[in-house]
Parts: sequence; C-alpha cells; structure tokens
Amino acid sequence: MKLLVAGLDSAPPDLLFSRFIDDLPNIKKLLSESIYGPMKSSIPAITIPAWMCMATGKTPGELGLYGFRHRKKNDYKDIWIAHSLTVKEKTVWDYLGEKGYKSIAIGIPPSYPPRKINGIMVGCFITPDSSVNYTYPQNVKGEIERVVGDYIFDVVFRKDERDEVKEKIWEMTEKRFELIRHFIQTQDWDLLWFVEIGLDRIHHAFWKYFDENHHLHEPNSRYKNVIPDYYKLLDRELGKTLKMLDEDTAVMIVSDHGIKAMKGCFAVNQWMIDEGLLKAEYGNGVRKFEQLNVKWDETIAWSWGGYYARVFLNVKGREKKGVVRLSEYEKIRDDVAEKIKSIRGPEGEKWRTEVYYPEELYPIANGDKPDIMVYFDNLSWRSAGTVGWESYYLLENDTGPDDAVHSQYGVFSLKMPGVEAGKIAECEIYDVTPTILKMFGIKADLMGRSLV
Amino acid sequence: MADEVEVKIPRDVYDKIEERIRDTEFSSVDEYVTYVLREVLASLEEEEEKVFTEEEEEKVKERLRALGYLD
Repeated sequence: MKLLVAGLDSAPPDLLFSRFIDDLPNIKKLLSESIYGPMKSSIPAITIPAWMCMATGKTPGELGLYGFRHRKKNDYKDIWIAHSLTVKEKTVWDYLGEKGYKSIAIGIPPSYPPRKINGIMVGCFITPDSSVNYTYPQNVKGEIERVVGDYIFDVVFRKDERDEVKEKIWEMTEKRFELIRHFIQTQDWDLLWFVEIGLDRIHHAFWKYFDENHHLHEPNSRYKNVIPDYYKLLDRELGKTLKMLDEDTAVMIVSDHGIKAMKGCFAVNQWMIDEGLLKAEYGNGVRKFEQLNVKWDETIAWSWGGYYARVFLNVKGREKKGVVRLSEYEKIRDDVAEKIKSIRGPEGEKWRTEVYYPEELYPIANGDKPDIMVYFDNLSWRSAGTVGWESYYLLENDTGPDDAVHSQYGVFSLKMPGVEAGKIAECEIYDVTPTILKMFGIKADLMGRSLV
Repeated sequence: MADEVEVKIPRDVYDKIEERIRDTEFSSVDEYVTYVLREVLASLEEEEEKVFTEEEEEKVKERLRALGYLD
C-alpha cells in the first residue's frame, strides 16, 4: 500500500464537489472511485494550526497553536511566529517512520525549518526565501533546483499587480507538481503528502470577480474566470500525476478549511474602546493597535484581528499591568463574551457570532492561548485590530487580501483498493491521521476515528 | 504524587539551597531544585527554537501581514 495525499489549501466542498466538478475530469473520475464528503476543520479554521491538526490528530489546544502568531509570555506586544519546531506532537510521518515506512512531506505548514524524517521534507510558505536550507536531507535542495529552477514557496497578494500575482501562482503550482512527479518517479516512498497553497491565494485574491453575490463583485471583469481556470489547472496537474501511480496506490484529497465570501471587517478594538473595555483614545485617521497609547492599568480586554478574533483579558498577576482579579475572571469573561455575541451587523441584522473558551473547546489548552476566540457572524466578518475608522463595519479588509474568508468545512476524499466508493455524511480533520495509520496497520490512541 | 526518581547533588550545594529557601514558599530542597531545572530547560528550549534571524522574521511577518494573517 502506498498513499498520495493531495492537500489543496482552502478547497471548499461546494466548489470542488459540485459547482466546478464537470470541468474537472480527472478529479471527477477520482471521486467516482472514492469515499468523499465535507470535512469539519479545527477551530480556528486557519492554515496554522489546521494542517498540523490533520497531520497529528491533535487539537490546537494540545498543540498549543492558535494561529500564526502568539503572545510571548503574556506580553502586550511581543509575539512569536509558529514554525515546525513548535509542533511537539507526533505527526503521521513520525508514526510511519518508526515502522520503517518512508514519507515525502512537501509544504505542509508549518514545515520550516525542515525536520528530520524517514524520507524527505520540503519547507512550506513560512520559509523565509529560497536562499536558506529548506529541505531534509539538505542535498535535496540542489536536486529541486535542478528539476524546477528557483522553487516558489508562496505568492503574496498585491492589489495593483493582479496579473503578475496570477502568473506567479500558476508558475508556483506547475513547479510544485513537476517536483511531485519527479519524486514519484525517482524516490522510494510509502506516503507522499503535499500541500498546494496556491488555491488559497487564488481564492483570496480573486473571489469578488467570480462570486456574483459578493458585495464588491465586478461583473464581466477580465479576472472572472481566474478561480475556475485555476481549478482546471489543478485538475490537469493532478491528472498527469495520478497517471504515474499504480493501481495499488491510494489517493486522498484533503483541505485544511473551506472558503466563502467576506462580508466585511469588524473593527473590534475600536468597539472595545467605545464599550469601555479598552482604555485608549483614537481620533480621526486609521491607526494600528500597536500605535495606540493604551492605558493598561484601566484596560479590561483587547483583541487581535484576523480571520477570527483573539480576545485577551488583562489579568492581575498574569499581565504586567493586569486589572482583572482571578476571582472575577470567569464572570468578566462571560460578560465580555455576552457583549460580543450581542453585536449586530451594519443594518442591525442579527449575526451568528460564535465565542469559544479554549479550555472548554479542547481536552487541554496549552501554550499562549487567548481568553476568548470569536467567529464574527460565523467567520463571514473578519476582525480588524486597527482603530480610527468612521464605522465599526469596513467593507474592505484593513490588511491583506480583500475578498474571501475561511469557512469551517473543507474536503476529504479517499480512493483505496478494496474500499467501495460513496459519500461520507460527515468527518472531521481529526479523522485523517487515524485513517492513514489504519491504512498502514499502525495503532495509536487518538480522538478521531478511521474512515476506512 | 508524580513518578519520581532520585538524583545526587554535592552536599555543599544542598546546604546552600537549604539556606536559600529558608522563609520562602519552597518547602523543600527537592522542590527548589525541580523548579530551577524546569526554568533552565524551558529557557534552553526557547533558545533552540529561535529559528529565524531578525531579518528573516521581519520578512515572514511582512508576508503574513500581506496575506491577512497578521494585523
């Protein structure tokens, strides 16, 4: 048994399984021979930690990873960025390696710096650039450069250079698949798992041109087919790749989360200032949270922006100038959470806002966790940490790409010899590692279940 | 009580610690030694995990900001 895992960052079930499927002959054929269905992601549904939740079978709380950045020792400003060494739990390639199985792991976030495995590891998009060592073993880097030239880890969205961004993403994806096919042909492997980040970047950068219901939709834009065209590119590249596999090789498609239209951005810190939770003044003009003169000794809570909001309470004895006493912590946290849940949309419409407490959400909440995690209107509204806006409701993002936000459900499919094709009603990101381990006959005590 | 093992330390170190923890929240030398070793190990781990140079970290942060992961 061999297994190829195709990780398509942010692939949503509705586009991959339904809307685009008739234009994707290779994926359509594969699905007709697979078990497949929507897969519930981790909370938060974000690239880091979601891929590692998938590859370890552990929750963000157990991993101590709640996003790309974390507070350093409860500091108000200092942060650390997640990287491969911050993952302490065993990954599926670690389990396989112990049994002598060889793995090739390409671009699975976070995989910089590359870690020693029984096989090959190639760094993901948090690799600073191609001048550093981004492979294990080290000499694979030279091989990659001989095969594809300058390897591309990621393409960053830039508003005014969309054509260039598009071209570069195409080039990145073609190079990635060329490398994958090179490894398939030249290496000895049992598991080959790659993540293509290009799909996520394409979704975020071009969503409004394709989605007629998006509030910033531009009909008949020359970019309207970029997203469907990129799916066709993936289908072609995947098709060429699948041709190289023998009948005994199982094929899995997975995504770390889904994607949907962004309705806007909610200026959460500005709201907190007006509610008296955060003591700072803002005048006209947009400012970053870091530029504010915060009166910490009068502040109860503040927040980080992003796809979801991380709210921190200013706790006495934990934060340098904390004011919330431990004896009042639960009550104040509940009060803040209730206030957040009662926030309505720009037209006074009710939002489906979800709030979570890390230690209730996970079996254990390690590391530098927030006190409250918030999905504004079920993730349709991002949160902005910046302040000084005319309104709390921003129709465009305050940072980064404009058009799309994450959704809770990604995809899962598996074609495996001896397993009858059919739809799966529901599965979770935590089921992937138990499924792979079962396929290789390895036992481990994990919360998820095997899907085969 | 968690699983424990014995470790030997020189008498003079033991005596110094005993002196040091008198009238503190530490109730035994064992407790103090465990505390200090945990602190040392944690700071070593933190040191080992500095994988980005300052310049690299700025580069990565800038990219993450442009991608909308940081604000």
